[in-house]
Amino acid sequence: MSPITFILVTQGIHGLAYGLLLFLVASGLTMIFGLMDILNLAHAYFFMLAAYFCYAIAGATDFWVALIVAPVATAILGMLVERYLIRRVHAFGHIPQLVLTVGIGMVLVEAVKAFWGTQSLMVQTPKILSGHVPFGPLEYPVYRLFIIAFTILILLAMVQLFSKTRFGTIVRAATTNADMVGALGINVPLIFTLFFGFGTWLAGLAGVVVAPLLSVFPGLADQVGLDAFVVVVVGGLGSLWGAFVAAILIGLLNSYGVQFVPTIAPLITFLLMAVVLSVKPTGLFGKRQ
Amino acid sequence: MKSSRMNRMMFVALLVVGFFIMGMPASGLAVNSSFDPSKMSDMSGFDPNTVVQPTGDTFKLGYMQILSGPAAANGELFWPVVNWVAYDLNKRGGILVDGKRKMIQIIKGDTQGKPAATKQEAERLCLEEKVNVLWGTSGSHLAKIISDVSNKYKVPFVNCLSLSDELMDAKNFKRYTFQTVSDTTQWNMAMAYFFKNRPQDKRFSILCQDYLYGHSMANAFKKALAEYRPDAKIVSEDYHGLWLKDFAPFLTKVMAAKPDILYTGDWMPDGDNLLKQARNMGLNVPIANIYITNPEAWKAVGVEGSKNLLICYQFMSGDTPQTPAQKMIMKAWHKQWLKWKEPYNKLIYAWPDFVIGQTLSDTYWLFDVIQRAGTTNPEKIISTWEGDQYGSIQGVRTMRAQDHQALFDMYVGVTTYPTKQVYPGALYSKGYAGVHKVTVIPEKYCTPPIPEGLKNRLMK
Repeated sequence: MSPITFILVTQGIHGLAYGLLLFLVASGLTMIFGLMDILNLAHAYFFMLAAYFCYAIAGATDFWVALIVAPVATAILGMLVERYLIRRVHAFGHIPQLVLTVGIGMVLVEAVKAFWGTQSLMVQTPKILSGHVPFGPLEYPVYRLFIIAFTILILLAMVQLFSKTRFGTIVRAATTNADMVGALGINVPLIFTLFFGFGTWLAGLAGVVVAPLLSVFPGLADQVGLDAFVVVVVGGLGSLWGAFVAAILIGLLNSYGVQFVPTIAPLITFLLMAVVLSVKPTGLFGKRQ
Repeated sequence: MKSSRMNRMMFVALLVVGFFIMGMPASGLAVNSSFDPSKMSDMSGFDPNTVVQPTGDTFKLGYMQILSGPAAANGELFWPVVNWVAYDLNKRGGILVDGKRKMIQIIKGDTQGKPAATKQEAERLCLEEKVNVLWGTSGSHLAKIISDVSNKYKVPFVNCLSLSDELMDAKNFKRYTFQTVSDTTQWNMAMAYFFKNRPQDKRFSILCQDYLYGHSMANAFKKALAEYRPDAKIVSEDYHGLWLKDFAPFLTKVMAAKPDILYTGDWMPDGDNLLKQARNMGLNVPIANIYITNPEAWKAVGVEGSKNLLICYQFMSGDTPQTPAQKMIMKAWHKQWLKWKEPYNKLIYAWPDFVIGQTLSDTYWLFDVIQRAGTTNPEKIISTWEGDQYGSIQGVRTMRAQDHQALFDMYVGVTTYPTKQVYPGALYSKGYAGVHKVTVIPEKYCTPPIPEGLKNRLMK
């Protein structure tokens, strides 16, 4: 393999891994907005909280237990937040939701500081995912390949869930016409709570997956949240496929930008957002309201 | 006869004493004062979670740090340091200033990591709380603001954390500010000098944060390396945004350049993330750094991943304390740490090494100067500190009078495994590498030049 091909392939895989990680963070956010019309700016903070849960659980047991338990714990908290807080302001529009969810985010940050302090915490990469896999002349970290495979698996599972299952059908129907679905005897508020929990569960999954790569610290939400927000906006608010495409695009542009135009690489994500929104203000796959 | 013999004996005795005194500078005993470990209080009651600040007629130290926001880890990190010193000295009866014994009171000032908040808090501490001295801070841009405020209100400011060369240059120098931490030039001279004796390291990659500090560090390193190792080659140079999430694209470029050494000035969390992701990607070259000293990060990458970190700092113990005072402090602190609860029970607080040891040593120096000055009058404190030579916990510190920059030997430690017990029953590190061998970089090889414009400051 020639050096330039090697670079192109390696940076491409990096971009794919990073992009899919962003997708995992952003997917819950865009689904909650798209289907429930809730602007949940606390989403990145649930992601951060899950990383802390992962630290605590993995420290006591192992990473695999944390991968199951931490997202579920985050989802339960998410459902409680939706049931007792967000539901109260849902009818009043996006501004109250924004204010409330920003406040929830602040509370979560202070809570993690109170429990775990402010220092950076570390989660070890599980042994089975450490090491490298040979791809011809290339040796690629197993953990990044795990991120790629795991996220694609989750995406396929989501597609199956919402297109092939009864729950998915009910969710889609309820978000289209809640009154009619309610009239059919289905507990629509419960469905919304469960769906919000599902979105938060996705944030929790992302938090666990990211923990072996990054330091777990109170600024983790800010560190990742902005990129996730850009993914949602570029992809189109509410579009899962839009978030997927946007995330991959951003990941690849980031990697190749660092390789070939490092001085402007930090700007590329925002340049992309500016270009997309100027051509299509609703995002790549967004629909006009 | 008898009296002339007595006179001869007196003469010889005086001669011996005279030679002894004259020989003192050569023997390195010409310090004005030293940290005396035998006088340290019983610290068995010290717990940073439960410190109670004295009130009344106290000596007030304004603790200017980032106490809230994403970088609040900085404020948390040094809280035990200042309170340890205060607790120790208070237990001895306080410090003798202005003819009275005063307890030391630590008053917090939250910079929030923002210039406006820093100015506001510094002014509040000076004008409302009437602190006697300001202590801080993380962030050279914030240290500059505190320096300006301290100069305006004539309150001494000890900068023991911010490295930028600009802080004490001719343009920004302020009489009331004393910098006890190495500046960027000093640090990089030491790091580059270390490689003078490692001819096998020829190819260097630089990866730093993309802002003033990162570029300053890189530029200073390149300059110093060109002087001490003209045969060395910079094979790659990149700068990344702060709080980078994915180092992989940068590390791929580094790996393609095939360096012998990766140099970085990154601080937390970037430094820790760089280490994790580099080792995860199979980049196992030694990493020359200043701030990748968080044992949590070392533990996360395991034994192999934590080996070969080349850490340069002005305070370093590792598993082999360099001085009796350092050994005593390491033992006393670690024994207490074993009892601390969240958040101070984390590994980063386990040993008073690197930046924790340095700030601890500098804070003792500060109070030693104040006690020798015998007053809270800032002018007397300044005149006592200028030109001072102090035997610190680790080595002699000299406060250069012209620019108020402290000078000292620097140290470079290489992490290896296993490490030894610092004292019986207390292993320095378990499950990860730690600093064992420490190389001393003598002061003369890492003394920055006096800034132009300040050379004749005291002659005016």
